[in-house]
Amino acid sequence: MKAMLNLLFGAALMTLSLGVLAQDVEELRQFDSNAQKQLYKELTDELRCPKCQNQNIADSNANIAKDLRNKVYKLVKDGSSKDDVIDYMVERYGYFVYYKPPLTAGTIVLWLLPILFVLFTLLLIWVKSKRSREKVETGQWSEQQEQRLNQLIEQLNHPQER
Amino acid sequence: MSENKRNLWFFLLPLAIFLVLVVFLLLGLFSNPREHDSAQIEKKLPQFQLSDLMIDGKRWQREDLLGETFLLNVWGTWCVTCDQELPYLTELRNQGVKIVGLYYDQEIDPDFGESMDITALRAEVKDKLARLGNPYQFNILDDTREMLLDLGVTGAPETFLVDKHGVIKVHHLGDINPRVWRSKFARLYSELKAGQ
Repeated sequence: MKAMLNLLFGAALMTLSLGVLAQDVEELRQFDSNAQKQLYKELTDELRCPKCQNQNIADSNANIAKDLRNKVYKLVKDGSSKDDVIDYMVERYGYFVYYKPPLTAGTIVLWLLPILFVLFTLLLIWVKSKRSREKVETGQWSEQQEQRLNQLIEQLNHPQER
Repeated sequence: MSENKRNLWFFLLPLAIFLVLVVFLLLGLFSNPREHDSAQIEKKLPQFQLSDLMIDGKRWQREDLLGETFLLNVWGTWCVTCDQELPYLTELRNQGVKIVGLYYDQEIDPDFGESMDITALRAEVKDKLARLGNPYQFNILDDTREMLLDLGVTGAPETFLVDKHGVIKVHHLGDINPRVWRSKFARLYSELKAGQ
């Protein structure tokens, strides 16, 4: 019985220590404040791993992502603002490194295209509805048209009377 | 506008949009997703203070590199692709191209107080360069990988073409082979050399 208890205790201890080992080292990073911790999380979520295809640096295990996380941590600890860190990264790795592209001549189409699309669609709807309204208006049958029609039928029925 | 003309427009406009979309998607299909513009072009080399890989006590800084057009080649003995380019880089050196190595180790994490075994590392480097060719005038050791970050390096091998004023002209990701050298480096290199 005692041997079995020992075994159980050992197993429990092992599971516990394994759990601690498996815990990511990132979790052990110490911050001066909750705001800093939040900023670090935000930045590693929004910065893109320059070596990977569409992964942020928080998610990637590439060496470069690790180095960038370390750098972000250091900069945040040193009191850098969010913009400071992003500028630092963009200066070195280009706009590729940040998931929210800034408004530049090259990216303006990203903002304009949806707006243009909506405007174009509204225009199309307006033109179409206007035209169908015109059709209804001109489609009204007048007294004169009725008379003219009767005349023509008459002529057709009795061509010799002309 | 006549009815006919209007119909033509309704036919042509979606066709035009479709064609633009096709061209855009085709370009995407044949582009290399790993290739994106480097932020380093036309920038000056960053300031640095680093040790020589092979010689004790020898320090390098930016000013030591100025005065001549050269290649800065980022590499490590752990990097498999670097092995592929060493023989061709050696050939380039024999043609008179100045190549400086920027060595880094990816396993060492200075934040955790790890440091490298420099004696073992030197032996390994010597062995590798003896087997595959030594293209380097000298090697700078970036032990903290700070210089790599400043240069926007994402891995190894990467190569920079730097002019005599220390301005980066080309930033190439991946190995250098005759094809890459011809298409990306050769012309610019000879122009910079001639202007020296």
